[in-house]
Amino acid sequence: MSTFKDADEVYALIGRAMEACVVEPAFVEATKDGNLVVLIKQTDPEAYILVDFPGQKVLVGDAAQAASSTVQLRMSSDNANKFWQGKLNFTLAMAQRKVKLDGKRSTALALLPLTGPIFETYKAILAEAGRTDLLVG
Amino acid sequence: MTELLSDFHEDVDHMTDEEFDAAFEKAQELSAYFREIGPKYDIENTFAYPTIAKFKESGLGAFSVPKRYGGMGGNILQTSKIISELSRGDSAITLAYNMHFIMVGMCMGLFSEEQNKLWLGRVVEGDIVFGPFSEQRAGFSGLADMKAVPQPEGGWRIYGKKVWGTLGEASDIVTTNATITDAEGNLPESFEERVEAESFFVAEFDVDENGQGDGIRIEKTWDALGMHATGTHTIHFEGFYIPEDGFVCEWRAGAFGVLEWASLMFASIYLGMQYRVLEEAREVLSKKTLGATFGAIAAAETKVSNVGHIIDGIGDMASRVELSRRVVYRTCQELVDGDDDNWPVELRFPYIGLAKTFCSENVMHMTKRAMSLVGGSSFKKGAIFERLYRDSAASMFQPLNSDQSCTYIGEQLLAPDELND
Ligand SMILES: Cc1cc2nc3c(=O)[nH]c(=O)nc-3n(C[C@H](O)[C@H](O)[C@H](O)COP(=O)(O)OP(=O)(O)OC[C@H]3O[C@@H](n4cnc5c(N)ncnc54)[C@H](O)[C@@H]3O)c2cc1C
Repeated sequence: MSTFKDADEVYALIGRAMEACVVEPAFVEATKDGNLVVLIKQTDPEAYILVDFPGQKVLVGDAAQAASSTVQLRMSSDNANKFWQGKLNFTLAMAQRKVKLDGKRSTALALLPLTGPIFETYKAILAEAGRTDLLVG
Repeated sequence: MTELLSDFHEDVDHMTDEEFDAAFEKAQELSAYFREIGPKYDIENTFAYPTIAKFKESGLGAFSVPKRYGGMGGNILQTSKIISELSRGDSAITLAYNMHFIMVGMCMGLFSEEQNKLWLGRVVEGDIVFGPFSEQRAGFSGLADMKAVPQPEGGWRIYGKKVWGTLGEASDIVTTNATITDAEGNLPESFEERVEAESFFVAEFDVDENGQGDGIRIEKTWDALGMHATGTHTIHFEGFYIPEDGFVCEWRAGAFGVLEWASLMFASIYLGMQYRVLEEAREVLSKKTLGATFGAIAAAETKVSNVGHIIDGIGDMASRVELSRRVVYRTCQELVDGDDDNWPVELRFPYIGLAKTFCSENVMHMTKRAMSLVGGSSFKKGAIFERLYRDSAASMFQPLNSDQSCTYIGEQLLAPDELND
């Protein structure tokens, strides 16, 4: 059983966190001159979120799938929920094939240390939406 | 990490050809010195202590330190060339100092700006760094059993031992990995928590002439088939204090992005050894005469340089050297150019490791072949060939070894497309 009801809920929660992510000053500074466009492909429920860092925009669903990306990140929606709360060890998850990263590696991985502030944003979004049950201990 | 790695690479890439040539000349001088004294320390089975002053004097310790911290700014390819040149002189002595280059390379990609200024600044002043990570239970890939117990006043006390502490006798700075425990010293229970808690630390390494320090000591245990002068002893951490600013990062996540410095510096050691094997084999075989022989060749005068399998043997060795050189240089260059971005991310580590495993297989093949071509005299103690044969065997062990590389790659390629949830 997934923690999310359906793709729309993924977009309302994780998608919204990504909207905060693309305007977060640390990310803006780190990505403004590059071409980092990440397509997050989630499973269970299936959901697509495109995070266009230089363009500072987020697309979801079919629009996300149709757009071109430089990095593709695949993980289950449950693991995405953990990851955006800082509760998924990315290196270990990659080694154990719980996360799959394709495309240009270096820029994407260089952003990992900057993800800290997004965790709080995501947790606040969950709380606001009344989904504290998704908070990971 | 306060900056992107790409900014960092731009900075280290700035050594000019003239600067490199001048540094390489220093490496040639140091290599000649290592060559001269290497046999003595191989026989005595100890670290080559007089090399410490010479190494510091050469200034090469700061070769790969970025210029903005006062170093020479050599990139990974330029550093590889320096290491191979030193190793051509003496493989064991160079394997010891190689630990310094590995740790400087890894640290500068993981340190905070303040740590870079402090510790790399010290390296520029001549300080030497070592990195004991491997433990008894499992080598480099084993999660640290060594504990970092948080202290009420801040910082950690470290308890445990590392059984492969190369270069400790010359070092001023220690880098290591330990798992952060709770206040009572209990390791995290779950595997995931252990991975998260395993941490990378840097600290002052201050021991007396007997290897005794405050909460840390060297136990001289090194006694192995080869690589005698590396001084790869056991390092005991007995409540060794590391202040808060000695924490660098989570170990495995950090190491993942910088392990090329370990793998390619080992590759460079074994490439340098290949240069030496070929050089020594040519020297002997181009001159050796057997006189009158009755056997595969029955003749009044048999010169070995005219014997078919010896000609082929030298040709084969030279081909292996050239191929290994190209593999090492090309791998370094791909990293310098950022082409590793095009490799599958999960295969980055074993793919970088291919240069090391290739050089390792070739150097072991060559040392054996050289002995067989040179003949029985090469087997006697004191002959350079038996020495190189023993030293080259160490190449089987440093990470990643050939077996682990193949397992790593094969496992990834055979894995189903679905995620492993
Ligand atoms: C001369 C010399 C100097 C050294 N100096 C240092 C140093 O300064 N610092 C330091 O930290 N280490 C050092 N080492 C140690 C070295 O890096 C290895 O950690 C050590 O040789 C033990 O690791 P291993 O894999 O050989 O053995 P083990 O870890 O005991 O492995 C046993 C077997 O299991 C396999 N294996 C191990 N891990 C895995 C895995 N994850 N998956 C699948 N198979 C696996 C191995 O291939 C091997 O067949 C040195 C080694 C040598 C020879």
